[in-house]
Amino acid sequence: MAKVTVDGRTVEVPGTANVLEACRAAGVDVPHFCYHPRLSIVGQCRMCMVEIEGVPKIQASCTVPVRDGMVVLASSEKALSARNATMEFLLINHPLDCPICDQAGECKLQDNAVAAGLPVSRTVEPRRQFPGYDRTDIGPHVIADMTRCIQCTRCIRFCNEISGTGELSLIERGGHAFVWTHEGKALDNEWSACAADVCPVGALTTKEFRFRKRVWWLDKAKSVCDGCEIGCNISIEHRDRTVYRFLPRVNLAVNDFWMCDYGRFRAEELNGNDFTRPILRAGGKARETHWGEALDAVKAAVDAAVAKDPASVLVLGSARLATEESWLLAQLFKGTVGASQVEFHPDLGPERKIKNPAVPGGWLVGREAAPNSRGAEAAGVARAGKGSALARLLDGSYTPEVLYVADAEFTSRVSDPKFVEALRRAKTLVVHGRRTNPLTEAADVLLPVASLAGKEGTFVNVLGLVQRFQLAIVPPPIVRTDLEVLLHLGKRWGVFDPQWTARAVFERMKGTVPGYAGLEWDSAALAGSDPSASPTSAYDVLLERRLSNPAEILASAAEARGARAAGGEK
Amino acid sequence: MSDFAPVLSARFGKKNSSALATYVADGGYESWKKVLAGSKTGEWTPAKVTDLVKASGLRGRGGAGFPTGMKWTFVPPKEKRGDKPVYLLCNADESEPGTFKDRILIEKDPHQILEGMMLASFALDVKHAYIYIRGEMVHGAEILNAAIDEAYAAGLLGTNVLGSGMALDLTVHRGGGAYICGEETALIESLEGKRGHPRIKPPFPAVSGVWNAPTVVNNVETLCCVKHILDRGADWFKGIGRNERNTGPKLYCVSGHVEKPGVYEAPMGIPFRDLLAMCGGMKGGRKVKAVIPGGSSAPMLTGDEMMDVPLDFDGVAAAKSMLGSAAIIVMDETTDIPKAVTNIAKFYAHESCGQCTPCREGTPWLHKMLKRIVAGQGKKADIEMLMQVAGQMGNGMTICVFADAAIAPILSAIPKFREEFEAYVAKSASPGFEQAAAAGITSEVAERTAEGMHS
Repeated sequence: MAKVTVDGRTVEVPGTANVLEACRAAGVDVPHFCYHPRLSIVGQCRMCMVEIEGVPKIQASCTVPVRDGMVVLASSEKALSARNATMEFLLINHPLDCPICDQAGECKLQDNAVAAGLPVSRTVEPRRQFPGYDRTDIGPHVIADMTRCIQCTRCIRFCNEISGTGELSLIERGGHAFVWTHEGKALDNEWSACAADVCPVGALTTKEFRFRKRVWWLDKAKSVCDGCEIGCNISIEHRDRTVYRFLPRVNLAVNDFWMCDYGRFRAEELNGNDFTRPILRAGGKARETHWGEALDAVKAAVDAAVAKDPASVLVLGSARLATEESWLLAQLFKGTVGASQVEFHPDLGPERKIKNPAVPGGWLVGREAAPNSRGAEAAGVARAGKGSALARLLDGSYTPEVLYVADAEFTSRVSDPKFVEALRRAKTLVVHGRRTNPLTEAADVLLPVASLAGKEGTFVNVLGLVQRFQLAIVPPPIVRTDLEVLLHLGKRWGVFDPQWTARAVFERMKGTVPGYAGLEWDSAALAGSDPSASPTSAYDVLLERRLSNPAEILASAAEARGARAAGGEK
Repeated sequence: MSDFAPVLSARFGKKNSSALATYVADGGYESWKKVLAGSKTGEWTPAKVTDLVKASGLRGRGGAGFPTGMKWTFVPPKEKRGDKPVYLLCNADESEPGTFKDRILIEKDPHQILEGMMLASFALDVKHAYIYIRGEMVHGAEILNAAIDEAYAAGLLGTNVLGSGMALDLTVHRGGGAYICGEETALIESLEGKRGHPRIKPPFPAVSGVWNAPTVVNNVETLCCVKHILDRGADWFKGIGRNERNTGPKLYCVSGHVEKPGVYEAPMGIPFRDLLAMCGGMKGGRKVKAVIPGGSSAPMLTGDEMMDVPLDFDGVAAAKSMLGSAAIIVMDETTDIPKAVTNIAKFYAHESCGQCTPCREGTPWLHKMLKRIVAGQGKKADIEMLMQVAGQMGNGMTICVFADAAIAPILSAIPKFREEFEAYVAKSASPGFEQAAAAGITSEVAERTAEGMHS
């Protein structure tokens, strides 16, 4: 550890920290562009200039390792005028096209121009252009506009050091230098949009979000990606009941600073509901109805079946349900109703990976395509193995009276008509659904439910961490969350109260569900860090003040650098 | 001084001077043989060679004038560096405008360089040394490679040099044509196969250089001096030169308006007046208007300031410029200083590596402003702005000193020749914003098309 004094405030920071990190630890925001806690130090934007006592020349704070007893003047006149100078140099060739730039509102160049720039322009020279390298597709998700680029090389370092794919490089030299892909190859890796995240300006933007919404209109909700079992912390960015994008939230234990493109671009899939009312189907004819009739029909069918044989009711939970929902499902059907078969099927999907230095091996790997198989199991829904009821149903050795499917998308096989045909052999098929698929089309009772953005609860990720996701957008009227559906259904057996919130369920279940004992719904451990003001400023002092663990980020950045140095990497 | 006999350039005029046979006939490789033989008996140790170089007062000939022996001692001792090898790089990326001394050393007497490198390698425990030669010097690279082949054939290089058991390999690496690769850390990056971007220091190359191993980068002329120090001793070397801190023979590259421009060898610290006389005086007997004493990166001095300056590191520094690579550019009274400065600014705008913001954006900006002024479209305020913009680029604002080099001519020429710049803006018709911009746009487009940058 080293004691460093910044503008009169003394802080203790790890010995491997640099002066920029020490300044931030002291609560002094030093503007910067090229520094990023997870990327190597290049010290080339020259924005984070500070004075250091005893050093005659002005220093880029990110390039100077701390020394015990160091005195830093981060706000001296010399430091401020150096930053003025850098801002001026950055702006003489910037197109200043903020009114048509998607980054506006979350742009480091804007922020730092206000924080550290001069309110005048002295240049009359023509601004640099990159004909042919502006507004151009460079990959499946990323669009590049080199006229806006400030050559901080964060994206290049992301591709070299995080994704390890190395698609990007600086081309040309000096004032002509620009970032482009090698030999016309595409910027196509599993995390390519993170390169746009780390871009402090509008040089790299994502195709999916481009021109969709001004960022200052977006509301942010803390959520968890449900694309796989890793459970990347995300911010659901939405407006007027529409989800516009996901951004990763910093979580050093899980997704670090990143998320994969597959997860990120599921965002807009959360919009819309194909069903606005419960649907009853009889004799091949479907009709919309109200919740009362639909749920009564479910209860009647279940009661009749259980009276004959408790094994004639098959309840299929899902690894996509929140733990609270799975718990209600298990409590209601196993406990109250007495159905003997309540199970879920983990759905293996393509392998997803997130680079995280805190994980042994450096990569967090997700193999299941759903976020919460561990939570479902903990809540009492059995993980289906060989000889499961579903397997027997599929091989024809078992036909349930009632098949209750709590998630119409519990496996990717629901798009297979043959699979659905097998499920359809049940006398009564009840399905929770949002999007039309062969299974919802086959249901006798279809219960319309909200998407991830419309509900709240907790997931247990691949590491066994309980993570809470919050409500982003209120679902359409009449559509209910899975939790509400189960509460209303449970009320019919006199066990649940529809007034219960997810939190109330959480409090009821946490004493008995493994892994939940002692957890607090409101705790930071469950909620994770706040969404950043912008993807690029995710790592700023303002955010760090709001983070529960600013010291950890600092320490982890310094540690990673220490490890790099020890490993002999530059 | 009249009794000074050329040392470094002594063999330049000889026939076949680049061949091993003529070099050996002139007593070449005697020191290398002496040291190798002596290393067995304990008469010669690496420390002894280093001490000799230290005692000679030799300072780096590449521009900064850092004491060579001291630079060598920065390499961590064996117990500290572990099994990491030490590399010696010979910086032959001579690209400073006005400098052409290394080129002639390479082409006329390559074995002199090789012997210097061998001796330095012995002192530093180097097993593999590299010569990083400027990409444009194709002929020089061919000569060096031929000389190295000869040296291998003669057993002067290889796995068991002259039966001493010592191994030494030498490789020539051609650069890709960037001025910045003469900066030692950019040279290292380039040698590693990366973009020639100067590194953040510390760590200095002596601790972590090429492939993260301790590395010493020495200029061609410096290494040649090492050979002669081993030949004739530190006292002899110290006896040449103006004083204790500025010793040895020195090659001066004189260009510009002199009767006989070229490379001249003289004792370190020769007064400019005497060097000018060696060059046959000014062309047509005209007056010296300005001199750049150390390559384009050095601040400009007026003729009057220059005349009695002793041409060594401390002497030129006392005159508020620098000896640099001793590239002395002499300009007579017919020279248009603003145009000369514009020309230099163009070079730096072209050669900036683009890493640091102030340099990447500042050097083209300075060039554009100067272009506008000499095109007769400047305003009086532009002269002040030039000074201000240049003033905010140097002194720690960038990773390497390229920006400091780029602004030096501007910051020195404007105060000294302000009336010439003012004459340009006074002539300027009606320097309105639109006109200026229009002029800039046309010239910018023309330039870009000419360079074929973005077709």
